[in-house]
Amino acid sequence: MASVPVDKDSADQKLQFAPFSSALEAGFWHQLTQKKLNDYRLDESPKNIKGYYYNGDPVGLPTRLTLEFSAFEADGPSPARCCPVTGTLYNTNTLEAFKTSDKKALLEQQATEIWDSIQSGDALKDPSLLCKFLLLTYADLKKYHFYYWFCFPALCFSEGIKILKEPATLEQVFSSKQTSALQAAYDSLCSETGTSAVPYFLIKYTEDAVQVAQLRDWDSFNTDLSKVTVGVYDPCTLPQHPGWPLRNLLFLLASKWGSQIDVMEVMCFRDRTLQGSRNIQHSIVFQVKLPVPEQSVNAVCPKNVGWEKNPKGAMGPRMVNLSECMDPKRLAESSVDLNLRLMRWRLVPSLDLDKVTSTKCLLLGAGTLGCNVARTLMGWGVRHITFVDNAKISYSNPVRQPLYEFEDCLGGGKSKALAAVDRLGKIFPGVNSEGHVMSIPMPGHPVNFSEATMSQARQDVEHLEKLISEHDVVFLLMDTRESRWLPTVIAASNRKLVVNSALGFDTFVVMRHGLKKPKPCGPGDSSDPSSSSASSSSSTPAEPAQLPAASLFSNIPGHRLGCYFCNDVVAPGDSTRDRTLDQQCTVSRPGLAMIAGALAVELMVSILQHTEGGYAVASSSDDRMNEPPTSLGLVPHQIRGFLSRFDNVLPASLAFDKCTACSQIVLDSYEKDGFNFLSKVFNSSHSFLEDLTGLTQLHQETQNAEIWDMSDDESI
Amino acid sequence: MLSCPLPHLCLFSISFISPPEMSSCFLDEETFCQCCQLFLQHSHSLCDGWSWEQVKGSEEGYLRKTALGTGRTRCNQDQQRTSSDQHQERTFSLSFHDDDGDDEDDGAVCCIQEESSSSSVVQYEYHVLYSCSYQTPVLYFRASTLEGRSLCLEEVWDSVHPNYRQRLQHRPWDTITQQEHPLLGQSFFVLHPCRTEEFMKPVLKAALEEHRQVNYIVTWLSVVGPVVGLDVPLSYCTQAPEPPHTPSGSPQPPSGSPQSPSGSPHFPSGSLQPPALGTKPG
Repeated sequence: MASVPVDKDSADQKLQFAPFSSALEAGFWHQLTQKKLNDYRLDESPKNIKGYYYNGDPVGLPTRLTLEFSAFEADGPSPARCCPVTGTLYNTNTLEAFKTSDKKALLEQQATEIWDSIQSGDALKDPSLLCKFLLLTYADLKKYHFYYWFCFPALCFSEGIKILKEPATLEQVFSSKQTSALQAAYDSLCSETGTSAVPYFLIKYTEDAVQVAQLRDWDSFNTDLSKVTVGVYDPCTLPQHPGWPLRNLLFLLASKWGSQIDVMEVMCFRDRTLQGSRNIQHSIVFQVKLPVPEQSVNAVCPKNVGWEKNPKGAMGPRMVNLSECMDPKRLAESSVDLNLRLMRWRLVPSLDLDKVTSTKCLLLGAGTLGCNVARTLMGWGVRHITFVDNAKISYSNPVRQPLYEFEDCLGGGKSKALAAVDRLGKIFPGVNSEGHVMSIPMPGHPVNFSEATMSQARQDVEHLEKLISEHDVVFLLMDTRESRWLPTVIAASNRKLVVNSALGFDTFVVMRHGLKKPKPCGPGDSSDPSSSSASSSSSTPAEPAQLPAASLFSNIPGHRLGCYFCNDVVAPGDSTRDRTLDQQCTVSRPGLAMIAGALAVELMVSILQHTEGGYAVASSSDDRMNEPPTSLGLVPHQIRGFLSRFDNVLPASLAFDKCTACSQIVLDSYEKDGFNFLSKVFNSSHSFLEDLTGLTQLHQETQNAEIWDMSDDESI
Repeated sequence: MLSCPLPHLCLFSISFISPPEMSSCFLDEETFCQCCQLFLQHSHSLCDGWSWEQVKGSEEGYLRKTALGTGRTRCNQDQQRTSSDQHQERTFSLSFHDDDGDDEDDGAVCCIQEESSSSSVVQYEYHVLYSCSYQTPVLYFRASTLEGRSLCLEEVWDSVHPNYRQRLQHRPWDTITQQEHPLLGQSFFVLHPCRTEEFMKPVLKAALEEHRQVNYIVTWLSVVGPVVGLDVPLSYCTQAPEPPHTPSGSPQPPSGSPQSPSGSPHFPSGSLQPPALGTKPG
């Protein structure tokens, strides 16, 4: 639609109206959703709704027709000093029905009603019949997408309306005495009609007095048709244009008195209150020549317009995506985020939450520890949680493993890894969780029974290698010592941060494994050391020169810290073989797993907050009085807890050069021979790893030393 | 209540009870309603848009105000929508092109509204509710585009004055969280009331000492409102009808029965009683 160029000097200047902009409050869509779900359901029949417009806006705001949550109570009150508009809602069941609705026919129908009310004289008695709206909607309640199209029907003169006197402000036209008289007269008209806004009214004024009357009193009020003034409650703020509600009024007046009135004066009544002071002086007044409708007696409805343009200025519907504020899943996500950010705003301003929430966590073991670690990770907003476990849920599990229920045990029990994923999704749909039912090959647990068992082991190793390389932090949460060996080796080789937690009866250890320095980037090196570290900011860790030199137990930099196996002088083997049942099952005080699981996650978060990440110097118990290295406090190597004493200590220890898991010779053998090396470890007894790392020799030496000791003892 | 087996533990627990001078300032629900009513009386004289919304079939209600402003809607939908959504919408608008393009040939429309001007108009909605658990008023708010899409907190913050934005991060009373509106069940932002009593106490205490009368709602709203773009004109304090909050200890009945303009609150309590004191021992 081309705009008609406005030439001020042209004698032929035509009146132009500011169309309504639809304005929907968030509550409207909530209410429509409720209505659709509870009342309308599949009912597509038109419904009565209401909106309102206001004539007190500050300059610059668009002329709005507002629909709020109360729009569905067609008879309910409108806000004070606002003009109610009745409307018809056509809510379709399908997008297709929305698209194929006959927009012309809908408009035509409304316009005909208006035209009929003009002809019958009803509109004169009740001018609110002149201003109506149509709303066509389709609510996609799966996606929370709302399609809508407003229509504000207006009857058109074929020739347009000629302006005789250009718009001027009331201030220019009325004296202050007249202005306050008008204001008083309008107010008394309001109380006369029992409303707080009168959409259309008649005005008569002299230099001393101003009178107003309802439209229905035309005959008694306007005895002299040589000067007729109408007032319209005008929602527009433009200095040169009236708003949309005037259009149909002028059509009414033209069809009734067009031929008798030469000059029609229009006052667009604008009534603004700012800080308690009321002003109507910016109302505008102009004069027009009403066209005489060609076929005033003919019952055919005049040409009509009214469908609202979309934001791009084209004829088309609008669509609003409210999944942000209506989709329960999105609401859960934003609430969780907001809650975490509160921690940052209020308590720890330097907390880098993104570092935490974007961390991909691999949980090896989905038992008591795994369940508690997963829940604490969720609390921190971690979205990417992967479980590996080969066990099924048994009847004794749910009371200690908070991701499982009694139902999960039935029929042989669900797989833990899969059930845990389901539960996380129920707790928080925004989580990105995967479960892998697989066994982790272990030293001393032979896999060479058959070709099939070998290839299964090979497959499991490859699977685990892939999972570890895809994650940032590996949690070791299994119930045996030897099952931690393979992931320790792979993660050390991949330079991945490992957080390990193990339980005794009333003792636990939570520790981070030392993070080896990045490998020199050589050709053919498949792993990329720069991406292998969970902490983005930890580039090559320099020896902390400013710090006191590392001793055996203090100020140990991250890359020199030990792993779970470093303190051991025997290689992992089948630890379940020679044990009684109570030794095989993890029997621990029930609160222990929650404490240790929570500490494991909190340790990870503290490591991530350290600028050097996994390379951070280990804090020890002695550092408890010192300035903490991160906004969250210390970054220890190990937390060893003693529930009997309700006490934790923070030891730190160096990597052991003869470690059966993280020593250079083990890593070299793994990196060089891969599965061949690993299968030898799985299939052999302790001695293979102990020979390789030099532990056998160490044992020998120790034995000799012990002999010397004993002989010393004997001498005493 | 378990009996206390050890005398020294009893003493220990007693020390948790505040001494009389540590009186706390609570607002009971009846006083809340009276404060609201007086607040509304003044609001009607200012025409600044406050109204009382009664919840259907309930005696509960809340103060409500809507306001329009311009704001930047930074993360507007385009950034948040998936490309498939955008594609869908594009093909969707295309499907209308042929049959509806010629609908209107109307020379009587003024073309003044640019797309940007209307899309940056923001509708603000403020609700003042009573919190039984905190015994304080609570400010709920949301902002939406003219399409009815609620803005995210970042967008709302963009329209908060930088000074206040800083204050939000450092002062204790401005914890913004997202919650369901307890009466409407829709998602709103909330200025959490956990510290309300803390910052109201000195104000009410000072008023008590100076024998000034305070409308709790006015004082409280003038503190928390500006943080989210809601200004409370000074005249609420200077010209407001006699407030019911009389910490002086000699409560006076409000002058005259309040007018009942349309939309005025319906209160569960029939007549205006001299309200309870604002301060009471904790």
